[in-house]
Amino acid sequence: MKILLMGNPNVGKSAIFNRLTGAKVIESNYPGTTVDYTRGYMRLDDEDVEVIDVPGTFSLEPKDVAEEVAVKILKENRDSVVVCIIDSTKLERGLYLALEIIEEGYPVVIALNMWDIAKEKSVWIDAKKLERVLGVPVVPTIAVSGEGIRELVSRIKEASPVDIERIVRNLEG
Amino acid sequence: MKLTVDERWDLIDKIAEQVVKYGEYRYRLKDAIADITVKPLTGIPIAIAVLYGFWSFFGAFAGFFTDGFLVKLFDNHWLPWLQEVFPGKGGWLYYIFVGDPAADNCFEAFGVLTSALFVAIGVVLPAIVAFYLFLIILEDTGYLPRLAVLVDTVLHKIGLHGFAVIPMILSLGCNVPAVIATRALETGKQRFMMAVLLAIFIPCGAQLGIMFKVIPGHVGFVMLYLLAGFFVFGFILDRLLPGKSPEILLDVPPYQRPIAKNVTRKLWMRVKSFFKVAIPFVLLGVIIVNLMYLTGFLGWLANLLEPLLCGWFGVPKETVGPLVAAFLRKDLAVAQLSAIEMTMPQLVTSVVLVSLYFPCVATFAMLIREGREGGLKGVSQYLFGGLGALIAVIFLWGGLIRLIWIILGVA
Repeated sequence: MKILLMGNPNVGKSAIFNRLTGAKVIESNYPGTTVDYTRGYMRLDDEDVEVIDVPGTFSLEPKDVAEEVAVKILKENRDSVVVCIIDSTKLERGLYLALEIIEEGYPVVIALNMWDIAKEKSVWIDAKKLERVLGVPVVPTIAVSGEGIRELVSRIKEASPVDIERIVRNLEG
Repeated sequence: MKLTVDERWDLIDKIAEQVVKYGEYRYRLKDAIADITVKPLTGIPIAIAVLYGFWSFFGAFAGFFTDGFLVKLFDNHWLPWLQEVFPGKGGWLYYIFVGDPAADNCFEAFGVLTSALFVAIGVVLPAIVAFYLFLIILEDTGYLPRLAVLVDTVLHKIGLHGFAVIPMILSLGCNVPAVIATRALETGKQRFMMAVLLAIFIPCGAQLGIMFKVIPGHVGFVMLYLLAGFFVFGFILDRLLPGKSPEILLDVPPYQRPIAKNVTRKLWMRVKSFFKVAIPFVLLGVIIVNLMYLTGFLGWLANLLEPLLCGWFGVPKETVGPLVAAFLRKDLAVAQLSAIEMTMPQLVTSVVLVSLYFPCVATFAMLIREGREGGLKGVSQYLFGGLGALIAVIFLWGGLIRLIWIILGVA
């Protein structure tokens, strides 16, 4: 098993990567800081699991080289759990990529990152409800301070592939 | 099952409707700062102030450590001690490691343990630390994307867009990560243009640090001259190269307070990679140049290139040594220039030539690696296209500066 960290540009993938692996990749506050991928390892139930910090992308139809890299890594690692990192202030566009990845049949865990900034901006997301609708674990996180990272790690195991039709039904029901 | 793009957005709308609530938004200080730094009327003066602050901080910080402390340490203690205790004065080993036995400063001695060490630790290290400290704060606050928005219009004139300012600024630290950062640009044309332009025109932090030492009064002029070249040749490349330069929508993230731990960690990473990449090349550079000098190769090359160097650029033929060293390390090359006897305009011309001239070997390797993404065609584009641009730039932009001196009546 591998863990892929994916999400839109500048949502904090590198920050979460550094938190998970104790590794050191450059994080900055602008989109496109990571243009190549970095591998690291984290302990998960007494096992060393490989974690890949994937460059940011908006969708699985790449628009630049960094996005091409992202899509290629996803396709090459079919046995992965994808931790989909979403900027809580820009939920919709993050969900777009998350849904695409779910449709591809990958087990997904969602990190609602920048939870603090969302609160500042008075954006309230019902994480529990989102979890029920999507059928995948959803964890609010603040990567720069480390809040929620432990819960995120503990819930990676729960991820399993979800049929998109079930999500559609969950919404209606 | 897979959804179509429209179905997916419909689904997202429904999800968002159920799980997201927006409260009342309060306009805060952070938003006010965000506004004034991105609106042209206030943003441009602020950008100038920020960049000027960057410049002053760089000069002051590096100067404080280099002139106030490290120069004295190296020139008054390390050099005389080494000249005294290193065995075999006059032998070739002494020449390579200590250099000129009569030298009274570490710039001119040009040995591995004198000049190379002094350049790397005494001058470039403080410059690198100063540069990255400021840059990291700009990066982590989120100022850079705002700068990108402000310069968007100008960069559009040469077929790039605002985001290109980020590789440009990274390049002032080191060209290698800057070339990698061009990957965030959309089209192959933009990536190639940007990589070539910054490898040619943008001096790295190490070189800047040395320039402040060697031509303290003229660094601003050299920078403006190189920046002008960046735009002139960018304009030409944009017209010559096929390909598109599409518009982009740039994401401007909210301002964040930099976290001390992240700043120090990044600074440490940058300094560490400087030590790994730079120091071996500086040491190796001095050994190679000294060996070439001792075997008489440099003398032969200097005579061979004399018509070009003296005739076209108006610089002494001895600059051939630094030009060879510039292939390994530009900081070393500039340091070496200071030991050659010439007039100030000649020195400034030589510094410009060293900047424009072939990218250092680390950058060159990275350019080839970027080309490899496009297969054999990509590599030959980066190699031959890059070299073509380079040769044109050296002759035209390097020659023009001599013309400026002639018009000004100083050469």
